[in-house]
Amino acid sequence: MNILLMLVWIIILFCVVMLHVAYATYFERKIIGRMQVRMGPMRVGWYGLLQPIADGIKSFFKEDIVPDRADKPVFLMAPIICLVAMMASLAVLPFAKGWVLADIDIGLLFIFAMSGLASYGIVLAGWSSNSKYSFLGGLRSMAQVISYEVAMGLSLVGVMLMAGSLNLTEIVEAQGDSFLGMYLMPQCIGFFVFFVSMLAETNRVPFDLPEAETELVSGYSTEYSGMRYAMFFMAEYIGMMVMASIGTVCFLGGWNGPFPVPFFPPLWFVLKVYMFMFIFIWIRATLPRYRYDQLMGLGWKLLIPVALGNIVLTAFMKAIIG
Amino acid sequence: MQIQYKPPRGLLATLFQAEIVQGMTLTLKRLFSKPITRQYPDEKPDIRTGFRGQHALVRDPETGDTKCIGCMRCAMSCPSRCIRIRSHKDKAPGSRRIIDCYRIEALRCVYCGYCEEVCPVNAVVLTEVFEYSSYDRPSLYFTKEQLLGNWDRFVAQLQVPVNEYVNPFWRPRGLPEGDLPAGKRMPVSPEWSGEQQVVGKKWRQQQSHLNTTAQEGS
Repeated sequence: MNILLMLVWIIILFCVVMLHVAYATYFERKIIGRMQVRMGPMRVGWYGLLQPIADGIKSFFKEDIVPDRADKPVFLMAPIICLVAMMASLAVLPFAKGWVLADIDIGLLFIFAMSGLASYGIVLAGWSSNSKYSFLGGLRSMAQVISYEVAMGLSLVGVMLMAGSLNLTEIVEAQGDSFLGMYLMPQCIGFFVFFVSMLAETNRVPFDLPEAETELVSGYSTEYSGMRYAMFFMAEYIGMMVMASIGTVCFLGGWNGPFPVPFFPPLWFVLKVYMFMFIFIWIRATLPRYRYDQLMGLGWKLLIPVALGNIVLTAFMKAIIG
Repeated sequence: MQIQYKPPRGLLATLFQAEIVQGMTLTLKRLFSKPITRQYPDEKPDIRTGFRGQHALVRDPETGDTKCIGCMRCAMSCPSRCIRIRSHKDKAPGSRRIIDCYRIEALRCVYCGYCEEVCPVNAVVLTEVFEYSSYDRPSLYFTKEQLLGNWDRFVAQLQVPVNEYVNPFWRPRGLPEGDLPAGKRMPVSPEWSGEQQVVGKKWRQQQSHLNTTAQEGS
């Protein structure tokens, strides 16, 4: 009985997240369009509202091409690894008090593990496609994810120290429901490092080197088509949402808002996540891409030392005050 | 000489990434501005005078045939060599040349407008019609009959009467009226010719000026 109920919840979460992913693409195209003084999608449905559905149907019925010399089993598996790993990290996110599928004590570690696993999908996709563009995209992704994973993990150590837990629900509760309780202020250095490495981790502009259109066609997903390409796309957007949720949970006080909402407790959580998404898109509409050596330099020479300094500072303050 | 690629900036500007903030404010401002997109099939562009579109041969109201006299100037001045004319002359003295064949290969045309500028009788014209794409090439290799038909169709959708229609290319700019052949001495509004010609940014400024004065008047 319990398992059945769990399954129902999983299906509901899956559907809601998929709908959000579909409309996140619409949101992104519309916002970027308006920022470039264009209109964005306008043709399918009222103000292009059915565009994501049309895109979904199109990619579902498109031919699934496997290159002749590709490593077939790995090629077919890579997008699934990517998507499954990203979906799995949704399970530990607390959307509101008690609205969490798996309330485990290593929530934050689990999410790191899963986003690390998702990069396997990208690396394997690049490797198995047997194409130089895909291969370069895969290599770049590997180096980028490894170096920024470190910075991101270190930036959240400060939060773990302050909350004294890895459980995401407990991290939110440790921040309390007041504005001043949020870890944004005491952990502002950590937030800065987290934000930059979050952009790099999700392969977004200005760190979208693995899929740099201008130089690598489409990076690791060059050889993919149809539904498998859409899977990479979904994984990217779910990754954005997961990272935005981590940012919300760890720095912006999760589901707590100025006043509790009676019928829909996750409202504040959703609003904060969408604020993050908007900033993602806003940055994409503004900034050019980093050069590869600059990207590595930024990760290893700036973000990691700053994050380490932040840990020392936080531990020191905690030892003095508490 | 020392080239300075980056303007110097202070510590605070470095710390808070002043350039990125500037760029972000710009994009945020643009988010709330009106898009300049024209939703094309629903919303047609406004065509200004001197637009060079589909080719046509003017139908002479007296004879019902083309005005062309077979002087070959258009065919010679055409940079892409897309005009082909064949004509013959009757033995009787004083008779006009008769056009047997007048063809324009629209796919090769570069729409420079030299043919209509050089034509001494204003027989050939680039009309304001621009939606005439086709799935096959032969239908865009216009014959004389097709070109006359193009003119008839253009006249049908024209706002002004036929004899009032003037094209700025029918009267070359910068030439005194005495130097022009009789057919080209047409009354053209002053802003179409020479120094007073208003195009591009100047035209937009003029339009907005006219709009504001119209609003003030009403």
